[in-house]
Amino acid sequence: MLLNLALAAVLAAGTLTAPDSRDAAPCREPYRVDQRLPNGARWQLCWEMRTIEGLTVTRVVYVPKGRRGVGVLRSGALAQIHVPYDSGEPRYHDIGSLGPSAVPLTAADCPGGRRREQTVCVTTRPRGHAHLKDGYGDPGRRRSAQGHELVVLAAYQVGWYTYIAEWVFGDDGSITPRLGATGSLAGYTTTPKHGWPTGVGHRHFEESHSHNVFWRLDFDIQGRSRDVVEQYDFSGNGTKKRTMVRTRLTHEAKAVSAPMRWWRVLDPKVRNGDGHPVSWEISNSDSSRYRGPAEEAFTHHDVYVTQYRACERLASMNAAPRCADSVDAYAGRERLADPVIWVNVGFHHVARDEDADPMPVHWQGFRVTPRDVTAKNPYGG
Amino acid sequence: MRRGVALAGSALGVAVLAGALILLAGDGSPQAARTAGQQQPAPGDPLTPEEVGRASEIANRRHMAGGRVELLYVERDDDKAHEGDRRAAAYFYDYARDTLVVRTVDLGRGEVVAESKAAGAQPPPSRREEVVAAELLLADPRLGRGVRAEYARAAGRPLRSASDLGLRGLIFRGGPCRTHRCVRLFVRLPDERFLDTSRIVVDLSAKKIHTLEW
Ligand SMILES: [Cu+2]
Repeated sequence: MLLNLALAAVLAAGTLTAPDSRDAAPCREPYRVDQRLPNGARWQLCWEMRTIEGLTVTRVVYVPKGRRGVGVLRSGALAQIHVPYDSGEPRYHDIGSLGPSAVPLTAADCPGGRRREQTVCVTTRPRGHAHLKDGYGDPGRRRSAQGHELVVLAAYQVGWYTYIAEWVFGDDGSITPRLGATGSLAGYTTTPKHGWPTGVGHRHFEESHSHNVFWRLDFDIQGRSRDVVEQYDFSGNGTKKRTMVRTRLTHEAKAVSAPMRWWRVLDPKVRNGDGHPVSWEISNSDSSRYRGPAEEAFTHHDVYVTQYRACERLASMNAAPRCADSVDAYAGRERLADPVIWVNVGFHHVARDEDADPMPVHWQGFRVTPRDVTAKNPYGG
Repeated sequence: MRRGVALAGSALGVAVLAGALILLAGDGSPQAARTAGQQQPAPGDPLTPEEVGRASEIANRRHMAGGRVELLYVERDDDKAHEGDRRAAAYFYDYARDTLVVRTVDLGRGEVVAESKAAGAQPPPSRREEVVAAELLLADPRLGRGVRAEYARAAGRPLRSASDLGLRGLIFRGGPCRTHRCVRLFVRLPDERFLDTSRIVVDLSAKKIHTLEW
């Protein structure tokens, strides 16, 4: 017992050191974001509008209230927006030089925030209840708090579509990358079996299509060394019991989503005050899971885990010489020493009358949630 | 089967659309850090306009023999192996040899430190390529006439140049473009409509237009 306590103390002492906020900032205004949210949570990051991938967040650090910061992402960016139409053609890859496609934002596009170089908005907004716990008649014991989130966003005009790319950093330590599609429908007419009647009567059938959005996340939990990826499954079907099955991904991998399946990235040497490894959990349960033909093998999985290579940036139509062309090819047999996670989230867009015009935003994305980053909820009040 | 008639067809049609934003012409260097001033950029800062200019100049110093070579753009090199160094990747395309050439410039050392080449790799089109593609479209006797007519109808005045059009290009591969550099254009008219160009592919290597069948 005594030994356990001593061990916990040692682990706690070695917890979440660096990056020290007093260190030289890795970027300067207007590329630096250092935002403290009302509950005391703090996010520090840099952004860059890259020619190809557009808005990219780098060197993302989460500072839980009252704790030291922990590095999460070395970089995060869109890696492709694949748009195949249901009749089979056309099939667009919407990246696209996203940087030059960025739409200048107005003050109204960035409520409560500050625009950076016209095309990026950094703002905060409410996110609803952070927690709610009844006091059973005792107002002093009642716990209720409203949460907030930091948003870094840009919008791109790609043909008739406007895409809004958001990186949302919650005051609970979560990260939600998401993409909204708005602007206008393509106006492609198709047969009733591939579309939906829009406009008056049954003359125009707007063609259904998918938006298969890929993100590339280079996790570096407190630096690039030691990061490990695990997949979690819970076996049991039609039975009372569920049994946890942990699979450590020692090599590059391609994975499909499954009920209750999730992944996490951890650094076994970086521990919280309870002695548990700090990790971030990735779930991808909101995808329509588009599966294209053989020549679009990059659509055949929902999550890819690859060893870091600087030239591997797009999930398809990768633009580098001497580098593979798509994420399914990156995920070979290499041993994972510095894992990069690719998440594929599909949305099947069947047009409706309300989509014209302008088209209401439809969102797609996924969540990255802290798992054991702090020993308890640091925002309990 | 289109509403309106596809450009590829006998007449020029437009998909009826509204509400899109105007595509602003830019300098093709959105990553350029505009406010860095005299201060040395920090490691995570985008390239400054001065750095983009210098990287282009350094990357262009060594002539590329023969071919039809164009600089597409300069992107910051974000390789973690060179954290802290100011490095730029200059993307060139040789349309005669259909080869992508990427020269990595170390701005601190003022020299090209790596060069890689490949056929078949197609980075997204540059702003300039979008305009060149539109010029090729306008130069096509039948399609060019159609684009001009639709523009005149939408704008109430004749088209002066390709840059009057709202342009966005995406790479097209496959079909006649397995080895060539080809783009598919989105063309927006001043009345917010888009030309239906989904079957039109502009082959920048061969300087010709392909019409897709499906
Ligand atoms: Cu859609």
